[in-house]
Amino acid sequence: MKELKLYLGPNHPGMHGNFSVHMYVDGDTIVRARPMPGMLHRGFEKLMERRLWMNNLALIPRICVPEPDINEMVYAMAIEELTGIEVPEKAHWIRMIILELARIANHLMSLGGIGGPVGLYTGPNWGLADRDLILDIFQEITGARIYHMYIVPGGVRKDLSEETIEKIKSFLDYLENRLPEYEDLILKNSLFQRRTKDKLLLPAEVVWELGVTGIGMRSAVGEAYDIRKVDPYARYDQVEFYVPTANYSDGYTRVYFKYLETFQSIKIIRQVLEKMPKKGKVWNKISSGSALRWRVPKGQVYTHIECTRGEYGYYMVSEGEDKPYRVAVRGASYPQGLLGVEKYLPGTRIEDAALWMETMGVCPPEIDR
Amino acid sequence: MNSTNDTKELISILEQSFDIKDFTTPKKNEISIVVDQNNVPTILTYLKDKGWKQLSLVTCIDWIEENKFELAYVLFNWTNGITFLVKTKIDRKNPEYISIIDIFPGARYYERDIHEFFGVKFEGNSDFEKPLFLELWDDKPPMRKDFDPLEYSKRKFPDRKYDVELSKNAVKEVIKEGEINERT
Repeated sequence: MKELKLYLGPNHPGMHGNFSVHMYVDGDTIVRARPMPGMLHRGFEKLMERRLWMNNLALIPRICVPEPDINEMVYAMAIEELTGIEVPEKAHWIRMIILELARIANHLMSLGGIGGPVGLYTGPNWGLADRDLILDIFQEITGARIYHMYIVPGGVRKDLSEETIEKIKSFLDYLENRLPEYEDLILKNSLFQRRTKDKLLLPAEVVWELGVTGIGMRSAVGEAYDIRKVDPYARYDQVEFYVPTANYSDGYTRVYFKYLETFQSIKIIRQVLEKMPKKGKVWNKISSGSALRWRVPKGQVYTHIECTRGEYGYYMVSEGEDKPYRVAVRGASYPQGLLGVEKYLPGTRIEDAALWMETMGVCPPEIDR
Repeated sequence: MNSTNDTKELISILEQSFDIKDFTTPKKNEISIVVDQNNVPTILTYLKDKGWKQLSLVTCIDWIEENKFELAYVLFNWTNGITFLVKTKIDRKNPEYISIIDIFPGARYYERDIHEFFGVKFEGNSDFEKPLFLELWDDKPPMRKDFDPLEYSKRKFPDRKYDVELSKNAVKEVIKEGEINERT
């Protein structure tokens, strides 16, 4: 049969951002695939070199659109390592609340969002509606819904109020009762199961070959390879949680893991609210003078955290100036989004391409940064 | 505790067998070494055998005053949680280096990324036939320090002159003529 060239994207097919895949198809099967990034390239790394340390705080959350808080966290961690500043105890715990709420928000969006490529349109509506409740909490804490600029180098901007803590607690109770309905709607749906079970496989050798991290890695390798466990940051070493693992990574396992991880995040936030010190400072100044004159000592450091898609890191170089010398971003979905698409998307069917992207967790904004 | 002893042993082995110029620990659980450019593939292979199985990032830093590019390879060990930074400097003029895709196949697109944004050519990574991120780019690689984005955008997108000049009272005049209904 004649080989045809089709385009996936550059609108959002099962992803969060503009990205295109040129697919050469034979019948319904993809024979070759070429990833086409660059449509969302905003030159963040270059922009960061030309802006003050403080200015960059408003810029970095935009690198990864669906989960902005991870950027603030790695950026703050890198500066704290370079300046050697101590983060107040309470700030560590508040950061964990923010990061876990962001993780739940992202998992809800992708749990519901999986309904898009499989044709279950109730999913996205549910997911976004429940995520909105988290955005309300974010708005109360930080003043903004999506881009918070809340985790700043040296701590967090502001303390949590009693009412917010109550609101978070009641939201967690609501979500815990609500989540099983997602299982009924999506995970137990026979249409969804037929589209994802034993399909879209990710073998362990491929994980090591590409350098895939996160849920994809843990579901294939069978080890609890989570940076929160392996190289803990904030106070993750003081809370108990369980990291789901498996030795067989098909589309269904990876979506199911998102569901399981949401429960773990709820568990973490509950422990944090209990263990968090009631009083204390939440921010230490990183450098003398006003924020516009911050200077960070000379040095190079790589910091990384666990985001919903895997290892997210910043490689930061400072020359002791008021601006960073170089910041390189390690997007969590870089390996599967580029080399993975080229090598392992072929073999799947056209209609599964968007599903492949979604379950692998490809997030173009962090590829085009 | 065991892992720290292992790391110490590993570092002493590395120091004995290779010419390591600088050894630092930028943060807890992170080791950084600066090595000669010829030793990088051997060291990466050695570290991969020792458990640093994941290549997290390959990146480049432009040291324009020294006239050098610095390549940084970030490896991560999932069993003991230690990050290894292997850094080396190459010439800035006609920058060329050896590709490591034989050791870490995942490096392929990181190298393409560096090729496009810094102009470093990686021997062995042949996949440069079509630009990946920067289609129709006609200037020097943009992440180099001597590339000025402001100058580029002024040249590429010149300010347009608008022929129509609105007088200060233009809106009022239109309203007077009854073309737009005045809302009072």
